Amino acid sequence: MKLTLTNHTFSTLLNSSLINLRRPFCSSSLSSSPSTSFKPKVPIFLRPPIYSTKLSDLKKWHNWAKNIASSIGSSFVQSDNGPDSTILCRELKWFIEDVVEDHHSVFSHMGVKDNDENERVKMRADIDELYCLWKQRIEDRKPFQYIVGCEHWKDLVLSVQEGVLIPRPETELIVELVSDVLSKNDDLKRGVWADLGTGSGALAIGIGRILGNGGKVIASDLSPVAVAVAAYNVQRYCLQDKIEIREGSWFEPLKDMEGKLAGLVSNPPYIPSNDISGLQAEVGKHEPRVALDGGIDGMNALLHLCDGADLLLKSGGFFAFETNGEKQCRELVDYMKSNRSASLCDLEILADFAGIQRFVIGFHR
Amino acid sequence: MVVVSQPLCCNTIITTAKTFTSSSSSSSSSSSSSSKQPLLIPQFPSSSSSSSPSTHFLSFRTTLTRSPSPFPPPSLLFATPENQLSVGEGEEDTHTSDSALQDFYSLRRDVEIASQRVKEIRESSALQLLEQELANLEEEASSSSFWDDQAKAQQTLSTLADVKDKIKLLNEYKTQVEDAETIVMLTEEMESVDKGLYEEASSVIKELNKSLDRFELTQLLSGPYDKEGAVISITAGAGGTDAQDWADMLLRMYVRWAEKQRYKTRVVEKSPGEEAGIKSATVEVEGRYAYGYLSGEKGTHRIVRQSPFNSKGLRQTSFSGVEVMPLLPEESLNVEIPEEDLEYNFSRAGGKGGQNVNKIESAVRITHIPTGVTLRCTEERSQLANKVKALRRLKAKLLVIAEEQRASEFKQIRGDVVKAEWGQQIRNYVFHPYKLVKDVRTGQETTDITSVMDGELDLFIKSYLKHKFSMTLSTSGVN
Repeated sequence: MKLTLTNHTFSTLLNSSLINLRRPFCSSSLSSSPSTSFKPKVPIFLRPPIYSTKLSDLKKWHNWAKNIASSIGSSFVQSDNGPDSTILCRELKWFIEDVVEDHHSVFSHMGVKDNDENERVKMRADIDELYCLWKQRIEDRKPFQYIVGCEHWKDLVLSVQEGVLIPRPETELIVELVSDVLSKNDDLKRGVWADLGTGSGALAIGIGRILGNGGKVIASDLSPVAVAVAAYNVQRYCLQDKIEIREGSWFEPLKDMEGKLAGLVSNPPYIPSNDISGLQAEVGKHEPRVALDGGIDGMNALLHLCDGADLLLKSGGFFAFETNGEKQCRELVDYMKSNRSASLCDLEILADFAGIQRFVIGFHR
Repeated sequence: MVVVSQPLCCNTIITTAKTFTSSSSSSSSSSSSSSKQPLLIPQFPSSSSSSSPSTHFLSFRTTLTRSPSPFPPPSLLFATPENQLSVGEGEEDTHTSDSALQDFYSLRRDVEIASQRVKEIRESSALQLLEQELANLEEEASSSSFWDDQAKAQQTLSTLADVKDKIKLLNEYKTQVEDAETIVMLTEEMESVDKGLYEEASSVIKELNKSLDRFELTQLLSGPYDKEGAVISITAGAGGTDAQDWADMLLRMYVRWAEKQRYKTRVVEKSPGEEAGIKSATVEVEGRYAYGYLSGEKGTHRIVRQSPFNSKGLRQTSFSGVEVMPLLPEESLNVEIPEEDLEYNFSRAGGKGGQNVNKIESAVRITHIPTGVTLRCTEERSQLANKVKALRRLKAKLLVIAEEQRASEFKQIRGDVVKAEWGQQIRNYVFHPYKLVKDVRTGQETTDITSVMDGELDLFIKSYLKHKFSMTLSTSGVN
């Protein structure tokens, strides 16, 4: 499957010195990104506020954007269970938070306080770009997270862009599951973990931050875009010493780790191929198919990962996989029981916060 | 009781008293004293701390006993217009006896008013009960087993100090106002206005009034969270666009009010209505006593007007609910709620979830199962952040309800929900057919509805606080 990597306007702003202007967590530059020459985009909220706009112009844009959002009503909901106006308006508010430097004083009173119309505000993107981006949001149904270039996930703000799966709130739970396991087992806390198909690096970073001294995460991804974005995120959270990113398919780049891993996590593509076309446009038309499509029954990658768990985990090692839910969980557990019962044990199915049986966890004997 | 007044430094006060004593006793040419009094005393009005009890009347008695002659002897008759009440040291000297007389009359009136105020405050403070309480506490403190429970003993002592201070303060007010009354009487007997005495009395009254204001406020805003900032949540009631517009008007009203108080406001959440107005909004108001003032705004607000949203312009009644919670600092929320008492609901777009869906729906609803108190947080961008914030607000809410219901444990709390509907309103805002804003709890009303909507709420806020205070007194005596 091909990555849908169109339209990569690499921001000229992207150079490490500018990035470091805005309190990233790290002082080292990005030049040390692994292998690839691919440069990830800088999320809007990390760009310098070099654009000055008249408040009245910003308000004009805001009204325009709000009207479009309101005009959507529930038509997206009806067509493909997409967002309704309420959600779009909330996105708009967050968009402004990311774009306008001093958004609290300027925009929290929008419509309440009479501001001086000639007042100017500092922004991280040009006003014309705002029009363009919001149009893409509504007309092309480009995901909000690609518009602003980031996703708030757990207590992290992760950079994302076209070609990288946007981490979902469900997946946050895997970090909590790992955290539970670590709290009971110091050995695993100091061990090496793997996040296969890391995407933006969300799971790797979430786990990297709760591992103890000596603990480490190896994150792999097939896509060079994902590898670059994950590296960027790892660097933003100063976890280069704890997280190593390797380019390659699943556990191929982890051959040296056979029987050594303390833990293995993954949120692999699990949507059955036939379902892809019916997905909401934000997902189906924009997110990388390679990160979504799990084959005919959606189980291809999950079954492959069972082999990985068998092969890579050391004795007592822990694994957690996200699935499409319910039936897939049961099938995965059945598969493990009938084919991997010699190595995998204590299998358990866990529900996400919406009550859907979402995760399969277990240990290596 | 929480002592709310600004921290007064007792050292400074004592020093001031000393300075003053020496200056007044040593000065025979005492223009210094008369010019110093208004400077010194105003800065340090009677305090609840341990200033010398004689501070307040030093200013007066000493003036009386020393020869009061920096100014011409009081030989002037009231009715001689040619005579000027000339002033020493050549400062402003256009004080005709006429205006002196007028000043005196207005002073006399001020003294009468102050005297009435002192009387009322002393009555409403239930001085006798306070003295009884003092006696009880002192007895308790002198018992041999008093120090067995250190923590309780400390608390008792601190209550004792508070009660003592309060009684002292109330007695000081009485002495002060009596001093002023004496001057008024003296002046009347002398049938002439002595400028020194006059200034003496008017400065006493001025300071007394300031001090009374502060005392009243302290009494009215003595709840444990009154000092804190506030979170106002406004929710449109049933009634569609009209109610949503009304909610928006209330939002504007409170933001305006807060700006007038120089509080910092932040609209943290706002969900727009379909046509106009808002379905709900949450505003954080930062500043001292924001919660104390706003807490009485909690309840249902009702509007009656010609609807701008239907063509016939029919008279329309709408409701909006206002919730007020203190904006508590992290460290004051160290109450632990057992996890099993909490239920989290994460709204999710439905369907298969996971990779199938991408909606920035991160709202978290949290329910405290034993009480049924529920809170929703949508403003943050990740579920975790909303969860943390929702829990914080829930704790603040439970603390406040517990306080209101005088419950010692969360489990004793009864449900507490503002219902934005008929029959529950705390205040009516009538725009049509006449203009009137009326608080149904206090009876306070005004026809100037425009100012009210522009944030002129002090009238209502103050009268409610007074109302609440007298209610607590009548139901519980003095605690």
